[in-house]
Amino acid sequence: MTLANVFVKTASDRWLGWVIAIVSVSLFLLMGMATYREIDLSVYTSLPEAFRSLIGIGDDIDVGGLAINVMFGTWGAIAMAGLALAMGSSAIAGEERDGTMDILLANPKSRTYVLLSKTGALVTSIALATVALWIPIYPIAASLGVEISGLEVEALTLHLFANSVFFGLLALAIGAVTGDKGKATGITTAIMVLSFFGVGFLPLIDGGDAVTKVLPWYYFDGSDPVTNGIAWGHLALLGGGSVLLLLAAIVGFNRRDLKGQSVGTTMLDRIRGNPILNRLIGRLAGSARVSSIWLKTMSDYQSLVLITSAAMFLVMGVMMGPMYASIPEETLKTFDQLPEQLVALFGGGDMSTPEGWYSLETFGFMAPGAVILVTVVMGAGALAGEESRRTIALLLACPISRNRIVLEKVIPMMFYAVVVGFVTFAGVSIGSLIPDLGMSIGNIAATATLQTLVGLVFGSLALALSAGTGRTSIAIYGSIGAALFFHLFNSLGALNDGLDDLGWLTPFSYYLGNDPLNNGMNWGDAAVLAALAVILIGLSFVLFQRRDIRQRG
Amino acid sequence: MSMSMDSEARSAINTVGLTKYYGKHLGIEDVNLDVREGEVFGFLGPNGAGKSTTIRTILDEIRPTAGSATILGLDTHADAVEIRRHIGYIPGDLALYPNLTGMDTLQYFANMRGGVDWDFVDELADRLDSDLSRKVGDLSTGNRQKVGVIQAFMHRPDLLIMDEPTSGLDPLIQREFQKMVSEVAAEGRTVFLSSHTLSEVQRVADRVGIIRNGRLITVESVSDLRSKSMREVEFVLDAEAEVSVFESVEGVRNVVVAGNHVEMSFGGDMGELLTTVTERYGVADIKTTEADLEEIFLTYYHEDEGEGARS
Repeated sequence: MTLANVFVKTASDRWLGWVIAIVSVSLFLLMGMATYREIDLSVYTSLPEAFRSLIGIGDDIDVGGLAINVMFGTWGAIAMAGLALAMGSSAIAGEERDGTMDILLANPKSRTYVLLSKTGALVTSIALATVALWIPIYPIAASLGVEISGLEVEALTLHLFANSVFFGLLALAIGAVTGDKGKATGITTAIMVLSFFGVGFLPLIDGGDAVTKVLPWYYFDGSDPVTNGIAWGHLALLGGGSVLLLLAAIVGFNRRDLKGQSVGTTMLDRIRGNPILNRLIGRLAGSARVSSIWLKTMSDYQSLVLITSAAMFLVMGVMMGPMYASIPEETLKTFDQLPEQLVALFGGGDMSTPEGWYSLETFGFMAPGAVILVTVVMGAGALAGEESRRTIALLLACPISRNRIVLEKVIPMMFYAVVVGFVTFAGVSIGSLIPDLGMSIGNIAATATLQTLVGLVFGSLALALSAGTGRTSIAIYGSIGAALFFHLFNSLGALNDGLDDLGWLTPFSYYLGNDPLNNGMNWGDAAVLAALAVILIGLSFVLFQRRDIRQRG
Repeated sequence: MSMSMDSEARSAINTVGLTKYYGKHLGIEDVNLDVREGEVFGFLGPNGAGKSTTIRTILDEIRPTAGSATILGLDTHADAVEIRRHIGYIPGDLALYPNLTGMDTLQYFANMRGGVDWDFVDELADRLDSDLSRKVGDLSTGNRQKVGVIQAFMHRPDLLIMDEPTSGLDPLIQREFQKMVSEVAAEGRTVFLSSHTLSEVQRVADRVGIIRNGRLITVESVSDLRSKSMREVEFVLDAEAEVSVFESVEGVRNVVVAGNHVEMSFGGDMGELLTTVTERYGVADIKTTEADLEEIFLTYYHEDEGEGARS
């Protein structure tokens, strides 16, 4: 029964990720509702109409609607689409890269059959996860005494399902057509992240509204389904898009050569393939990328850092300044009138000032997120990655100590954290200078320093988990989960007195807690973050030294 | 016991009561190995017997639950880094970095240990017919294994530890590999290689240790083992066979007669068997196949397992 095998195996491969996502989002919903219950929501009704529609809050906003919107509309949707994306990109391209596709297709089943089994598993997983997300909503609301009967919860979850399927199939289709898992993951992530943020801030600009309609994310919550119910037209577009992607996947997968475990040719390889350039590069770099563990590690992650840095520099740094300058005066005035609590809810920046704008848009989520992405991937890949690929065996047969291996993995992680922090600083500085927003360059540097440090804390956590367990999944899920939890804890803490007292517990409170973009460097905060990172890195050395190396991935 | 003959030689590998449990699951138990310097030692056992666990334990990849080990007189845990200066290693189920070329891979490891003679690397690559300019990810299993072999030999280590090194190599290359192993031994260096097939190690090894279910069952010289090595022997005779004729020969077991066709397991002197048979019958056809390791176990060691290893 190949169907049962391919289907069930594909569906069960990632159950842990789904379970973690569902449990986390449900917990976030519980925390969110509990927090919003404490604040006076009458402030919303006094908000200008334009602003309310902008942040997706209807006229008759209530605690339940706000919590569900924030938790499902952002966290839940990103988590779901992200998992769908991961599953979609491994479906075809991932099996090719692992070299397991050959044996799968040695069975008397067609490529189309395998692809449809994989798609079926993907859609079923998303459907099950959606239902699992939906079920706890009512008990959570009931247990907190929050009224949600007037909300179109089912409409939102249906939109969530369609959105996740779309991004899952996008990744699956790119993987099926190209056989390149990196491309499938990278392109889909880029489209997802850009469209998520595009839908968020393009409406702030004149004519931006029209542009959002080309972004897939618009069809997820552009119609505010939790208030307005199902938008069948939007669902049809997402569904139709998914079907087209599936067709493209079937055609593309059937027509091309299967890839073995081949690694393909990178741009670097093509450059090295040219004898003149190769000699030049050889003279410049020697055989740098294999001359030591730390240089090889640097080389392994250079494209990740390059892409992340470029995005931070251009989109989140340079472009944000002119974008701020282009927001109409009236909209800015609206921001000025916002109650403090509401501002805190969106990350704590006062949008009427450029500092507030950059705090919210760039430094609030994306900037630490970018450092966390790079450091967590490197921290998790550093030791656990070599173990799961079994390359650690030869490394450990060399006359170098385990401590030195950890050290040579830590150095590139720290270096790249600094690189991402620095390009963010450079991007924001340039972005603020183009329209001359009058921001303090020193304060930007201070904020970027704290950003680097807070990112390093979670990268170091990933490293410690990686060193202690040898499992990349635990390192990645554990550290990203912790980062999301503390980030949410931090933003909700500002709204909830009970949580506020515990604010010192979250690393993020040492990041923007003292508003470095306005107040400059807080060395105490920096010291706390640095100490946390040092402790976790120190722990990594101890844990890796003591442990049995795993033989299998 | 042939192993105590040469007591002057230093131990290349010495384990005392080496035991490794993975949780409750037994890896190896009470393994006492003594590999002498300058010998080629074959470490034999069926899949899952504990070969890799033993190797990974003495290389400090995993830590013993009990017991201890030394390599070249150095403690495998405390002196792990110093030990690695003197060894070359091919792990079982070798994995390399797919995006590096063979040459990149060798340079990477050479940079970490130093002392690599690149002319020698070229020579090794030549002998194994290995193309080092290609990316490891694009290589077939056998060609990838060649990179692993070169990597282990390239710094002329005092001790080579190889976990099923010939897997994936074609017969011609295997023969070249065996030559390389013999050369290492001729230079007074030590080779420790594991395998699940006797025939593979008996050509190169001086002695073999046999491990089964995590326990070292015996250590014997290859010539001793060969003399008792089991074969499946089949005769087609010119007359009806009698069981008693065959059972009279020492080392014959499990005789099955079907008319003029007879099959048996045999672990004795082949000349004696042939003489006995040809005295009584005309032989129309004869076929012998080497018994696999499992059969040798069943014949010689299985019954002794309760009372401890036989040697």
